[in-house]
Amino acid sequence: MLLLQNLSNALILACTYILMAAGLTMVYGVLKVLHIAHASVYTVGAFVGVLAFTRLGNFWVALAIAMFVSGIFGVLIYRSTYFYLLNSPRTVPLIASVGMFVMFTDLLQKPFLMGAYQRAFPAGGAGLPAVKTALFSFTAKQVLILLVTVILLAIVYVILTRTKLGLSWQAASMDRDMASAVGVNLNQSIAANFFLGSALAGAAGVLVGVYNNSVFATMGDLPSYKAFIIIVLGGMGSLPGAILASLILAIVENFLVASIGYVLPRDSIAFLVLILMLMFRPNGLLGRE
Amino acid sequence: MSQLEIRSVSHWFGGLQALKDVTFDTHDEILGLIGPNGAGKTTLFNVISGFIVPTSGEVRFNGKAIHRLRADQTVRLGLARTFQIVKPFASLTVEENVLVGLGMPYYPTSAALYQRYRTRSNLDQVEQILAKVHLTDYRSAQAAKLPIGLLRRLEIARALATHPKLLLLDEPAAGLVAQEAEELAALVRDLYAQGLHIILIEHNMRFAMNLCHRIVVLAQGEIIAQGNPTEIQNNEKVINAYLGQE
Amino acid sequence: MASGYFLTILTFTAMYISLALSLNILTGYAGQVSLGHAAFLGIGAYTSAVLTLRYEVPFWLAFLAAIVLTGLIGTILGLPSLRVRHDFLVLATMGINFVVVSVFKYVDFFGGAMGLVNIPAPSLFGITFRGGVPYLLLTTAYALFTLWICWYLSKTWSGLAFQTIRNDEEAAASLGVNPARYKIYAFGISAALAGGVGSLYAHFLGSVFPDNFVFVESIGMLSMVIFGGIGTLRGPIVGAILLRLIPELLRFIQDYRFTFYGALLVLMMLFQPMGLLGNDSWLWQHLTRWFRSSARSAKEDVR
Repeated sequence: MLLLQNLSNALILACTYILMAAGLTMVYGVLKVLHIAHASVYTVGAFVGVLAFTRLGNFWVALAIAMFVSGIFGVLIYRSTYFYLLNSPRTVPLIASVGMFVMFTDLLQKPFLMGAYQRAFPAGGAGLPAVKTALFSFTAKQVLILLVTVILLAIVYVILTRTKLGLSWQAASMDRDMASAVGVNLNQSIAANFFLGSALAGAAGVLVGVYNNSVFATMGDLPSYKAFIIIVLGGMGSLPGAILASLILAIVENFLVASIGYVLPRDSIAFLVLILMLMFRPNGLLGRE
Repeated sequence: MSQLEIRSVSHWFGGLQALKDVTFDTHDEILGLIGPNGAGKTTLFNVISGFIVPTSGEVRFNGKAIHRLRADQTVRLGLARTFQIVKPFASLTVEENVLVGLGMPYYPTSAALYQRYRTRSNLDQVEQILAKVHLTDYRSAQAAKLPIGLLRRLEIARALATHPKLLLLDEPAAGLVAQEAEELAALVRDLYAQGLHIILIEHNMRFAMNLCHRIVVLAQGEIIAQGNPTEIQNNEKVINAYLGQE
Repeated sequence: MASGYFLTILTFTAMYISLALSLNILTGYAGQVSLGHAAFLGIGAYTSAVLTLRYEVPFWLAFLAAIVLTGLIGTILGLPSLRVRHDFLVLATMGINFVVVSVFKYVDFFGGAMGLVNIPAPSLFGITFRGGVPYLLLTTAYALFTLWICWYLSKTWSGLAFQTIRNDEEAAASLGVNPARYKIYAFGISAALAGGVGSLYAHFLGSVFPDNFVFVESIGMLSMVIFGGIGTLRGPIVGAILLRLIPELLRFIQDYRFTFYGALLVLMMLFQPMGLLGNDSWLWQHLTRWFRSSARSAKEDVR
């Protein structure tokens, strides 16, 4: 009983990781850039979500607006920097990304944006029912997270496998020059990739904001570090790998780390795992040398 | 006595077999390694020089097994190489590029910490080497600014600085105009005359035929023929596999 | 009072010059981008603080111990660089910074989130270096020492090896450089020098807190190296001076310090990836051209 309940809690945690990591891994797949500023997109999503919700009162509209704004924000990040650095040495876009992350995190904390305090995001379960069975139960908020994640992943799956756009991303992830040689409009394709990935991060921000009933300027830091761990675990650029790794990390955090977490907080254990993974399985759990 | 012995070397990249049971020896000679694209020539060089540990098989150099050694170890045994796609240290000068090969301490021990590399005797040696490859005029030029023809010679100079007994040249004439290629052939003959043994990968058949004493032909990871240039030119397998392609 | 404030700024600037120069060995010479340099500053600071506070070790011994211990830990923490390259290494160094800070924060021995306070001021021959001019001299001396190490290192085989690794690891290996060992070596030297700054830092402030050594501090150091000109001696010095002084001189930037650092990193990457005074930078090329032509005209004047 307890085990199942723990597993279902881990599942909810994993959902938020998946949405965050999916965007990151998509961007890495196409650009081969570690998009550290993704954390800011997540926070912006939560912030826009809470603003829209307090003005309009409808969670679903707020979610849609937040995803749209995050998506546009992501595209702007791409067009203003990465776009010009595609052919530079790999450290150049990376350092630019770090710069953007630091800049946005600092700006978001300023009083005219989010300030240094936490805002409530009292959307509850957005009218969804709680689920209670003999074996496990989900609160309404958990049902909301599960539902939104499944719907978004389904959409991403369809785009990736059934559309020309998805095909162009696959082509670009193998060889950018080749992809543009065979007629992929690289700019549009990458911009769309950023839009979708950033919209997913925005959705993750909204969901976590609602779940914890709290939105604040540095809320993206930890999830983004974890998203890096996840995409390394899952093999860089692989979406199924990222989903599997999210589940594994969530389960490990919920079970194992709870019992040894007194030595170090669980977040730093996650980082130790990352360092060890990088050293011994740099291609991810599923990848091979 | 043969210097380099390659015994049943095979290598797989994932599910792809790049080398199939390759066996041959080198002697006191200029040996040409030819074959169509994807034949496994560069993979074989990577195995010999220590960048790849072969899936199976053995490589011996002067009797010592070297197939498990890393590149920085094989070079210390007297086995130097160049790269098909030149890899200059772009931010360093020509002189500094050559100095690297001259005496890099193996361990970053205290000697590496306090010994300066720019000593009189080191610079003299660099000067001799640069003279050999006709790069003397460019000694203080930044490597990034040299054209491909000079970079090919710089790679050879760097390799020579390690005092090799066997020199592996990976397509040294690629990207060179006819006259540069001719000068390069003269340089290779010269180096051989000074006692160096040489293996070179070559795509340009005529260049290889004129220069090499013996030729080994690889196709799809296998040796399909070996012998002197005349034998190779008349070998039907070679004509089908290699010449037929062009 | 105003002069005391000014001395504090200068003292910090001297410490950051050492930090930027030490990071430059790893990132500029050896080409290993690190986002975890603040961790080494922290390890040095905590080593020195713990030794003097808990074991009553004299400052000078604790200072040496901070250098040696941070160097050793840096060597160990450099191990991921053997397997991991480029952006993955950046992730690993970020992780190292994170883990080190949480050790300070959650292990009671290091004082937890409350940090360590009442760290004694150093003294030598009866002179106590409590702030002011003496401490500025101390930190300046250390900055000069770091500069000398960096300069000397660039003349040695190790310095040459670092540069070959940054340029092309395979070519370096083909010429007898063992990239793994030299990378670890770069980590060790870089960390050791930062550890020395850590000790000076702890005894200057009299207290250390885990939050002094977080990830954004590492970014600040990297900004200095990149802004000034990566891989040169002049670059990190100029970068550290400008990035410490500009926010002090322009108060409105003070509140937006990290916005400023971040924007600067982005702009440098877009327009001058070699930094303000890097070898191929616009400013440096114009400066050297100007020096050369004025030297030539001076010579002609003499004739």
